[in-house]
Amino acid sequence: MSEKFSQDKLDRCISCGYCLPACPTYQLTGAEESSPRGRITLMRAVQSGTLEPENLLAESGFCLGCRACEPVCPAGVEYGVLLEEAREILWQGKNQPLIIRGLFLIVGNKLGMKLLGLLSPMAKERKSNPELHLMLGCFERRLYPDVSKAAAKLAPEVSVCKEQGCCGALHAHNGELEKGKEMARQLGEQLSGTIITTAGGCAAHLSSVIGRDRVKEFSEYWSTKDSSVSKVQINGRTIRVGLQDSCHLRNGMGVTQEPREILKQLGEYVEIPNAGGCCGAAGSYSLLQKRNSRKVVSQKVNDIKALNLDYVATVNPGCTRQLVTELRRAKVKTKVIHLAELVAMGTK
Amino acid sequence: MIKDLQSLIGAENVRSDSVALSAYSHDATPLFNGLPEVIVTPQSTSDVVKIVKYAAQTKTPIIPRGAGSNLCAATVPLKGGIVLSLTSMNKVLEVNKAEMLAVVQPGVTNLELDQLVEKENLRFVPDPGSRNVSTIGGNVATSAGGLRGLKYGTTKNYILGLEAVLGTGEVVRTGGRLVKDVAGYDVTRLLVGSEGTLAVFTEITVALVPRPTDSKYGVAYFDDLAAAAACVDSIISSGVLPSTLEFLDNTCLVAVEEFANLGLDIKAGALLLFGDDGEGDVVAQTVEKMAEIAKKASGIRGVTLAQDVAAAEALLYARRCSLPALARLGTLSILEDIAVPRPAMAAVVKRIEAIGEKHHLRIGTFGHAGDGNLHPTIVINKDDAEEVVKAEKALKEIFALAIEFNGTITGEHGVGSAKLPFLEKKVGKANMDLQRSIKSVFDPANILNPNRLGS
Ligand SMILES: Cc1cc2nc3c(=O)[nH]c(=O)nc-3n(C[C@H](O)[C@H](O)[C@H](O)COP(=O)(O)OP(=O)(O)OC[C@H]3O[C@@H](n4cnc5c(N)ncnc54)[C@H](O)[C@@H]3O)c2cc1C
Ligand code: SF4
Ligand code: SF4
Repeated sequence: MSEKFSQDKLDRCISCGYCLPACPTYQLTGAEESSPRGRITLMRAVQSGTLEPENLLAESGFCLGCRACEPVCPAGVEYGVLLEEAREILWQGKNQPLIIRGLFLIVGNKLGMKLLGLLSPMAKERKSNPELHLMLGCFERRLYPDVSKAAAKLAPEVSVCKEQGCCGALHAHNGELEKGKEMARQLGEQLSGTIITTAGGCAAHLSSVIGRDRVKEFSEYWSTKDSSVSKVQINGRTIRVGLQDSCHLRNGMGVTQEPREILKQLGEYVEIPNAGGCCGAAGSYSLLQKRNSRKVVSQKVNDIKALNLDYVATVNPGCTRQLVTELRRAKVKTKVIHLAELVAMGTK
Repeated sequence: MIKDLQSLIGAENVRSDSVALSAYSHDATPLFNGLPEVIVTPQSTSDVVKIVKYAAQTKTPIIPRGAGSNLCAATVPLKGGIVLSLTSMNKVLEVNKAEMLAVVQPGVTNLELDQLVEKENLRFVPDPGSRNVSTIGGNVATSAGGLRGLKYGTTKNYILGLEAVLGTGEVVRTGGRLVKDVAGYDVTRLLVGSEGTLAVFTEITVALVPRPTDSKYGVAYFDDLAAAAACVDSIISSGVLPSTLEFLDNTCLVAVEEFANLGLDIKAGALLLFGDDGEGDVVAQTVEKMAEIAKKASGIRGVTLAQDVAAAEALLYARRCSLPALARLGTLSILEDIAVPRPAMAAVVKRIEAIGEKHHLRIGTFGHAGDGNLHPTIVINKDDAEEVVKAEKALKEIFALAIEFNGTITGEHGVGSAKLPFLEKKVGKANMDLQRSIKSVFDPANILNPNRLGS
C-alpha cells in the first residue's frame, strides 16, 4: 500500500495519553477514538491497512483541529500536520463537504477574493514600508473590515496592498493541503518582507509554509512597537476585559502572553477560565459540525457570563464570529471585539 | 453479545464499530496490540455487576481499563473480549477533611483528585509520571509509584478501602475508612496491584495527608550515573529521608532539555534531582544538607538550587516527561522498570551501560534513585529487525541483572502481558501456584483480564 501519512510523524506518538485531558472532543465523549491518541491509533491502522480509510471520516470531522494536543505532547507529535494529511486523504470527491466546496470556490480564485473585498469597506491601499505588509484575510475582509482598518490606522508604517490572495489555511485544513501550501507561497511572493495578520489561524498556516520569521500576528507586532495606550473607559470607569486565545496562535505559534499584556494596558484584565481552550469555531467547524461546535462552546459562554465582562477580545475572526453568535443566543451582554479594534479605542 | 450487552446497560454504553475497536487495541506499551470485540462504558456499580455476570455466564474475557496508560500491556485485548472502560465513572463522592480521606469512583484522574483535595490543604500522595491522565482505578490496580516513594511510599500505602466486583459478579467491600482495622485478611492490600485480574474496583477510599506548606528542589550534575547513584547512597546513609531523589543519565538529560528548554547542563553525564517537602526551615535544612553532601561527592560537576516554586515545578515536570522526551530519539522505545536494593544501584547502572555497549544499543536510563527503581529505556528503529532482536536480548540480560542483585523485574509498572514470561524466575514456582489459586477463588470463571497475573 502506498504511504498515506508521514510515517515518521506517526512513529513519534508513544501512546502515553498525556494529550487526553487537553482535548475538547475527548472531554465531551470520554471515548478513546475521539482523543488525539485514539485518532493517531486509527491513522496508524489505516496506514498499515487494517482499517479502511473511510472509517476515519467521522473522527476527522469531529476533531476541531485546535491542536491543543500539541503543546502538551512531550514527544513532539505534530498532530496538526497529521490531521491535515488525514483530511487530504479523506475529504476528496464525494466526501468533500459541500460547504467546503463552496468556500473553496470563493477564496480559491482572484475574482472571489475581489468580490469579498468589494462588498466591504476595508483598509485603503497604500505604499509604506515595502518590507512590511498587512494581510487582509479572506472572510475577514467581508465580515470584519473594521479590523484591518484599525490595524492599518495603528501601524501607518505598514503597506496595504489590496491585490492579495487568501493564505490557503482553509484549503490546508480541509483536505487540500498542497493547494493550501501553494496559496501561502503565492501570498508570500505577493507581499514582500514581514506579513502582519490579524488572524491567528492565518498566521500559523502562513508561517508554517513561508517561515516563522516572516509572519507576525498583530499582538506580536504591536508588542514590538513602543506605543502606549490608555485605559478604555465605559460610563466613566475602566473596562473589564478578557481574552479568547486563538488555538493556532497559541498551540501552533506559542503566542499567549502578548495579547494579555496589551489587554492589561487597556483595561482591567480578567483571565477567562480555559481561555486557551477552543471556542468551537475552529475554522469551518462551526459550519460543518454545528451541534458539536455548540457543545464545545457552551461552558465558555457560561464562564464569560459569570465574569460580567464588558469585552471579550479575540485575535482571530472565526472566534469573533462564534462568540458573537453564541453570546447573543445566550443573551449575554459582553461585547466581542478584535484586539486591534480595542487597541484603536485605547489610542484615540 | 452486542445486543445482550445493549439491553443490559443501554445501547449508548456499548460500542462495537470498527473505529472504536481499533482505538482500544492499544495501551501505552509498544509492540502489543489486539482488537477487542466490544467496548462498554458502565455508569454505575450495578452496570459493572451486570456486565461481569454476563461475561461469567458466557465465558467472555473482560479487560478493565482506566486511561490505558500502563506500560506492561495490561489492557491490550490480545484475545478479543469486552473492554470495560471505567472513565465514565469519574465522580469524587466525598472529601473528608476531618477523617483525611476521599471516596472516589475509579475513573477520576490522579491529578483531578489531587487538585480537588488541594482546596482543603490536603494531598493525594501517589504521583506517577502519568498523573494527568492515569485514573485512580488504574493506579490502585498497578499500585502506581511516583516521585515521592522514598519518604511517602506508593499507592498501596494510601488505599483504605475498596468496593469491588468479583469475577462472579458479587460485590465486596474491603477495608473501610480506618487507619487501623485488622478484622480479617487484608483483602484490600491483596487487591491493590492485582492488575484487573481479581476484581473490578467501583469505589475507592483513599487516605490523604496534610499538604506540605513548603518544598525545595535542587539539581546536582555528575560525571556519570554511577557517581549520582553513589551520592544517593551517601545522602540516605547520612540520615536524611527526602521526598525526592530522581536521576537521569546524559542521553535522557539531552532529550529532556530539548523538549523543556530549562537550561540544564547537557554536557554532564548525569543529573540528580533532589528535593523535599514539609515545613519551612526543616525543608530548607534538609535540602541544604543534600546539596552539601552532593558538593563533596566524587564525580560531582556542580550543584544548583531551584530559585522558586515555578522553577522546581518545571524540573519535576521535565523529569516526568523523560520517557516521551527520550522517545523522540527513535521510532520505538522499550522502557524497563527494574528495582534493586539502593546500595547496588551504582554497580547495576554500570552493568546496564555495558549491556548497551555490548549490543550497540542506545539505552537511556532514568529513575527513582531513592527507591532503587531504574527505567533503562532502549531506543531503537522499529523497522530494523536486527536491532529489535538485539533489544530483546538486552532486556533479558537486564532482568537477569536485577534478579542477580536481589532486585525485581518490575518496580511499579506491573506485569501485564509484557513481563508475565519472566515472573516465575522472580517469584518461584510455589508462589506462582499460590497466585493461580488465589485467582481461581476471586474469579472462578477466569474472565477477569485472563492470561495475565494468576495464569
Ligand atoms: C509517560 C508515562 C509515565 C508513567 N509514569 C509512571 C510512574 O511514575 N509510576 C508508575 O507507577 N507508573 C507510571 N506509568 C504507568 C501507568 O501510568 C500507571 O500504571 C497507571 O497507574 C495506569 O493507570 P491507568 O488509569 O492508565 O490504567 P490502565 O492502563 O487503563 O490499566 C492498568 C491496569 O489497571 C487495571 N484497571 C484499571 N482500572 C481498573 C479498575 N477500576 N478495576 C480493576 N482494575 C482496573 C487494568 O486492567 C490494568 O491491569 C507511566 C506511564 C506513562 C505513559
Ligand atoms: S500525541 Fe503525544 S501526548 Fe498524545 S499519546 Fe501520542 S505521544 Fe502521548
Ligand atoms: S486538534 Fe483539538 S480536537 Fe483534535 S485531537 Fe487535538 S486537541 Fe483534540
